[in-house]
Amino acid sequence: MRSCKLLIVGAGAAGMSAALSAWEAGCRDIILADRASRPGGILHQCIHEGFGRRESGSELTGPEYAAMLAGKLERSGVTFLPDTDVLSVEADKTAVCSGKSGLERICFEQIILASGCRERTIGSLPVAGTRPAGIFTAGQAQELINLRHLDPGNEVLILGSGDLGMIMARRFTLEGRHVIAVLEQEAQYGGMARNFHRCIEAFSIPLRCRMTIKQIHGENRICGVTAEHIDSGEREFIACDTLVTALGLIPERELCCKGVEGEKWLYLAGNCRKVHDIVDSAAADGERIGKMAASGFYM
Amino acid sequence: MQRFDAAVIGAGVLGCFAARELSRYKIDTVLFEAREDVCTGVTRANTAVVYPGYDHKPGTLKAEMTVRANASFNRLCEELDVPFSRCGSLMLSYGQKADEVLRKKLRQGLVNGVPGLRLLSPEETYAMEPGLAPGLSTALYSPSAGTVNPWQLGIAACENAVQNGVQLRLNTRVIAMHADAGGFVLETDRGTFAVKAVLNCAGLASDVVQELLFPSAVHIVPTAGDYLVLDRACAQMPARIIEYEPEDGTKGLTAVPTVEGSLLLGTTERINTVCYATEESGISEVKAMAVRLFPGLDCNDVIRSFAAVRPNPMSRNGKDINSFCIEHPAKLFWSLIGIKTPGLTCARELGFYLAGRLAEEMAAEANSQFDPVRHGIRSVRGLSFVERESLVRQNSDYGEIICFCEDITRAEVLEAIRRGAVTVDGVKRRIGTGMGRCQGARCGQKIAAMLSEQLGISESAVMKDGPGSVIVRAGHEKL
Ligand SMILES: Cc1cc2nc3c(=O)[nH]c(=O)nc-3n(C[C@H](O)[C@H](O)[C@H](O)COP(=O)(O)OP(=O)(O)OC[C@H]3O[C@@H](n4cnc5c(N)ncnc54)[C@H](O)[C@@H]3O)c2cc1C
Ligand SMILES: Cc1cc2nc3c(=O)[nH]c(=O)nc-3n(C[C@H](O)[C@H](O)[C@H](O)COP(=O)(O)OP(=O)(O)OC[C@H]3O[C@@H](n4cnc5c(N)ncnc54)[C@H](O)[C@@H]3O)c2cc1C
Repeated sequence: MRSCKLLIVGAGAAGMSAALSAWEAGCRDIILADRASRPGGILHQCIHEGFGRRESGSELTGPEYAAMLAGKLERSGVTFLPDTDVLSVEADKTAVCSGKSGLERICFEQIILASGCRERTIGSLPVAGTRPAGIFTAGQAQELINLRHLDPGNEVLILGSGDLGMIMARRFTLEGRHVIAVLEQEAQYGGMARNFHRCIEAFSIPLRCRMTIKQIHGENRICGVTAEHIDSGEREFIACDTLVTALGLIPERELCCKGVEGEKWLYLAGNCRKVHDIVDSAAADGERIGKMAASGFYM
Repeated sequence: MQRFDAAVIGAGVLGCFAARELSRYKIDTVLFEAREDVCTGVTRANTAVVYPGYDHKPGTLKAEMTVRANASFNRLCEELDVPFSRCGSLMLSYGQKADEVLRKKLRQGLVNGVPGLRLLSPEETYAMEPGLAPGLSTALYSPSAGTVNPWQLGIAACENAVQNGVQLRLNTRVIAMHADAGGFVLETDRGTFAVKAVLNCAGLASDVVQELLFPSAVHIVPTAGDYLVLDRACAQMPARIIEYEPEDGTKGLTAVPTVEGSLLLGTTERINTVCYATEESGISEVKAMAVRLFPGLDCNDVIRSFAAVRPNPMSRNGKDINSFCIEHPAKLFWSLIGIKTPGLTCARELGFYLAGRLAEEMAAEANSQFDPVRHGIRSVRGLSFVERESLVRQNSDYGEIICFCEDITRAEVLEAIRRGAVTVDGVKRRIGTGMGRCQGARCGQKIAAMLSEQLGISESAVMKDGPGSVIVRAGHEKL
């Protein structure tokens, strides 16, 4: 059985920052595990600029920001375990990890969960109709386009004007696809003003507020939705071949549900603790938690 | 022209079991399925309950078959290596009218031979299911009720049939039939087949299929129903199946703690307009009823909704038919028309019955090689550390998690594809990928990529479900 003083689950911005700050605070026995092959987490698919303003003073793209942190990580003595899925965290301070090389238990003194978040899906909304192909979460569409170079569709309707929805509206537009509209249930866009100006206004993408969708049409591939004007109750059919949902993020905390919640050796960091709009704050959160965990050894 | 002794038309749970039961005899059988995979029809969307048998009039085939099927369900699921949960059920009453209904069901059930059936006091009921709404009058407890995953049962039966010599022909729709001296000639969109006998198990199309050759006294009038699925972490998860029919005669609610761990809530009854599309009114009806019954239920835990289509059998003069319609318009031609609830429970019994009758008519011998045992896809979920570790050591693909929510590995996905999954949903039906919290948002494309690799097709040719359900566009693969 492998052992360490500090185990960190998830090598996104938060996990890497936590590892680095714990290292700097003097903790010399750190394992950072991620199910992916390289550190960086969600940053890899965020190829737009706007990251790391605090760290670097300039605006980096997601992958550049990830590379900056990964470089620091490499120069530190933190052990990075790639391709390692943490399956469970047990009350006896061990974590069960699965990877191609086998199943193993890692025993730790403290653990930081920096496992990020997942997206809310259309299934959670009271939307009737069929569930054909052509419905993607924003993060999924982002991965398909930016990392897999695949084409999710041509006539795109976006539901939700958080940062992710707006960024994807621009992304599809830049790819030569037609974004029909971004629908938003509130009276104003949900994300940051910066993203609204850069992604929506700059590309003249219609943002339609106080609207939601009520029904999905299409047997095999989506062919349209019934949208509703929330205030008047009026409805209209909007044809589309792709629906992208940006319905918000949910912290991915399943690992701390099973009997270890509230243990003082367990910390949450980054999007796993609370959803952060900008990477700087996720990273800052990681840094703070890393330091806190490291100081735990000397208290 | 290809020749077989018998043709089974339709590979839903009924056709799969009919074929499996036929393979107990020396009857050379072909199983035709119009779609690209088995169990994509009625079998895919239903309540998943293995009924105990108190709902049917004593002496009817339905009553007899249901009680017998229920009693042998553990053995069946062991043979076919399919998870089955005999969780028991509670039918609730909140008033006098329902009390009366429950008393009648109790009497009926006792005559039918349903084991362990009894009425409970409200105290006993709340002790078993603390989340239920106050005001209970009584509940009918049926310890033998259970739940099974319907399509997994059907797929298992089909695999076992194929293992015993049945030939499965997918993407093959029977479009015409005629009788000749040797039996029947079936025209399909993939060639002509000569067979001695036909078992028509075409589900929603079973009346139409019979009419390709014979008149049908029964015709199908479909209605639809809506369902909701809640995450396994939802509060108020009952331990048993809860059934409730309100006093006012409106459609009640069935809540099923499924073998996957999620909570299934259904259903409504409405005129069917579009196949397998849910309706807003239906969804809110189910929600309202669920919250009424389980006050602590949080509808934010809903992860999915789906619609089912009921193949209601009716006589030509427009009367509902309550019994199983087993039609026998000519020697060696049998049809199951409009088999709805409890068709899943009775799938093996119905198959066994049809196969037996057909074997008699054909004077077929038993197949001494028949092996009832099928092995399911080995899954890592629920294994102990030691078991799981040894599995990963044997096959490192068991170490790589593909579906994070449901803990499903690359090895399992590859095996599902090897066993016949050709779509993302086909993989899901075999091993449960994408059934969890994120509903496939994270594993869907990884599975599409694996299908593309294993089947040797481009990723744009991988479908989500049936034909036309393209996930990523063809033509300009690279943006
Ligand atoms: C699509 C998107 C666009 C964004 N755009 C911007 C922007 O323009 N500007 C900006 O400043 N911020 C942006 N953000 C916010 C910022 O990028 C994030 O808040 C931040 O990167 C989150 O970092 P994290 O480390 O908490 O999570 P993640 O980056 O999600 O990292 C979590 C890591 O944990 C791993 N993991 C999870 N569970 C396990 C397990 N059980 N075992 C092993 N590994 C596991 C995952 O593989 C992943 O690598 C965006 C966020 C998203 C999601
Ligand atoms: C809403 C609902 C809830 C239910 N709940 C329960 C329950 O809780 N418990 C229970 O025991 N039962 C239940 N049932 C009943 C059970 O689901 C059905 O009896 C059973 O699934 C019927 O299976 P099938 O094989 O007849 O139909 P299907 O699964 O529809 O299979 C028919 C197959 O035939 C194929 N086909 C059609 N035409 C042709 C052709 N010309 N050539 C080739 N192939 C063709 C179709 O593609 C299809 O795959 C429920 C039913 C419904 C509708």
